[in-house]
Amino acid sequence: MADTVLGVRNLKVAFPCPGGVIRAVEGIDLDIHRGECAALVGESGCGKSVSAQAIMKLLNTPPAVCRVDKLWLDDLDLTHLPDRQMERIRGKHMAMIFQDAMTALNPVLTVGKQIDEIYLRHSRLSRREARQRTIEALELVEVPEARSRANSYPHQLSGGMRQRVLIALAFACVPKLIIADEPTTALDVTIQAQVLDVLKNMQLVHRVSALLITHDLSVVANMADTVYVMYAGKIVERAAMQELFLEPLHPYTHGLLASVPRISDERQPFVQIPDAVPHPMRKPAGCYFHPRCPRSNDPCRQRMPRLEGPDDGRAVRCWHPLRQPHEVRS
Amino acid sequence: MTRNSPDPQPLLEMENVSVDFPVKGPYPFSKKRWIQAVTDVSLEVSEGETFGIVGESGCGKTTLANAMIGMVRPTAGTVRFQGVDLYALKPKAFKEARREMQMIFQDPFSSLNPRFSVYEIIREPLYIRGQASETVMKGKVRELLKLVGLDEDDMYRYPSDFSGGQRQRIGIARSIILNPRFLVCDEPVSALDVSVHAQILNLLMDIQKSRHLTYVFVSHNLAVVKNICQNMVVMYLGTIMESGSSDAIFANPLHPYTKALLSAVLDIDVTKPRDRILLEGDTPSPIDPPAGCRFWQRCPSAMKGCRIVPAELVEVEPDHQVVCHLISGLSAQQVADGLHEPVSPKSGG
Repeated sequence: MADTVLGVRNLKVAFPCPGGVIRAVEGIDLDIHRGECAALVGESGCGKSVSAQAIMKLLNTPPAVCRVDKLWLDDLDLTHLPDRQMERIRGKHMAMIFQDAMTALNPVLTVGKQIDEIYLRHSRLSRREARQRTIEALELVEVPEARSRANSYPHQLSGGMRQRVLIALAFACVPKLIIADEPTTALDVTIQAQVLDVLKNMQLVHRVSALLITHDLSVVANMADTVYVMYAGKIVERAAMQELFLEPLHPYTHGLLASVPRISDERQPFVQIPDAVPHPMRKPAGCYFHPRCPRSNDPCRQRMPRLEGPDDGRAVRCWHPLRQPHEVRS
Repeated sequence: MTRNSPDPQPLLEMENVSVDFPVKGPYPFSKKRWIQAVTDVSLEVSEGETFGIVGESGCGKTTLANAMIGMVRPTAGTVRFQGVDLYALKPKAFKEARREMQMIFQDPFSSLNPRFSVYEIIREPLYIRGQASETVMKGKVRELLKLVGLDEDDMYRYPSDFSGGQRQRIGIARSIILNPRFLVCDEPVSALDVSVHAQILNLLMDIQKSRHLTYVFVSHNLAVVKNICQNMVVMYLGTIMESGSSDAIFANPLHPYTKALLSAVLDIDVTKPRDRILLEGDTPSPIDPPAGCRFWQRCPSAMKGCRIVPAELVEVEPDHQVVCHLISGLSAQQVADGLHEPVSPKSGG
């Protein structure tokens, strides 16, 4: 598709281990359009972060084994791109915002130096010009007193400020795609609201596409346009954000949405999904969700359903979805 | 705090409790400084209720919870459990009193000893007290494992064999083996996967009903607190901002901080757009907290007086108290001095 900024076809990641093979990602397809914010949602261990790292080609191989049929960023084909050339792409055309700003930033360099580096690496600027751009970048993410803050070390900044610095870093070269891996998980609610606002603004101002990786459905509801729900290494549902929240099709998505407590709820027992996510080395046969699923029957125990639905719209991987994807208005 | 509670004597009562921690100064002989983790907190927890403590990280909610069950000695104030001053007790009586109060920890990955089997973990409190025989302990552990939804055979496995949710179940079993009356749950689900939150919360509620427990529930998740707590306090930088019944607070939040906190909670309800109050800046350091109201620097409607005059707790309606000059108003003298004029939260410091 012409408008696709990031395209992924059949991405697989596995980690051979002493006791067997962990299939972290089992063939996922993604299409992220220009200016769109897509969210990859799932619980810990579902393979969402690994997918992001595989797309950025940040995984060490070995131990990881990555296979992808096709991977492209705008007009660049990344499928077989060697590491040396990926270096030129990372930071300039696609950038990542990490979860934990304290470990993502270098503790012995001032934050200004770390942002300068991006400009010096990817564009021909003098140090002075680079610093000027750095200060502008920090101002854009609403860091107060950007000029003096550029000379602070990461530990001198608060969590929210550090996360802003990471956002400034990622947007420094105005990339085509930003991958934000749990950008606000480590933050408090009031700070989370600030940081998400900054992130959304930056994305809209620069018309950058984003892939948001999170386990927090409320973040998705406030940020994303399209949602991919992952479970045990596979995408189980794909939908536009509003549709997903209004009418989930997969029993897992349905259960997940129902189990999130809301402020508007009356006092009552919480809706729960039984059991827990399967161990990545001991995934059940058939549909991975069937042991926890209220709708499961024989076919669910034997065969894995396919992700079915119109090419670019709603899709669900389930033998017994709450409704068929083509029945839902799109 | 006044409340028309049916029980005349609250199970737990805190009166003007402060907890300070010393911190080293930047130089070897510099003056000792203090982190004021909790300052002048008074509250009551009555028998059988679930009491919520809400606030952001660093606001002192965990320290307050620790002070309740005798894990941190307050620098000032008294903690009375069943009418007895906890910290005035002799060591032996103190140990006996603490039998009644237990804790569920936040992180089930670091709160279970990886070298202990599940049996050893759960029986540990009984074992330390040294009053039960091996057979009694085994029977008790079996019974508890069943209660928390685990298998009897899990007794001989190790924590590494279990998922986060199952580990938290083990932690819950350990905390109730001494038949406590009072249980502090310090963020019991925040380290767990979203799909198991509900399981653990429901389990906690079931246990509360069957064993008639009183919970203090520490959380930053307002939706959970609203759903399970009858009474609650909202904390900011070591002090209580608003307290009362959770119905009253959620229906009619009065303190600007409570309002901001509530509006910052992202809801998954996509049908209705909401106005968000975005707070400026970060929580200030508890080492040198601002004089006056601790929230004034970030408060969207701060007055000049808020910077210097600490606000008093006022009761706005039954079961609803708030600490804010906007609600209690300033005295005539203070208004005459111009203290009611607004300050922009950015100026001064």
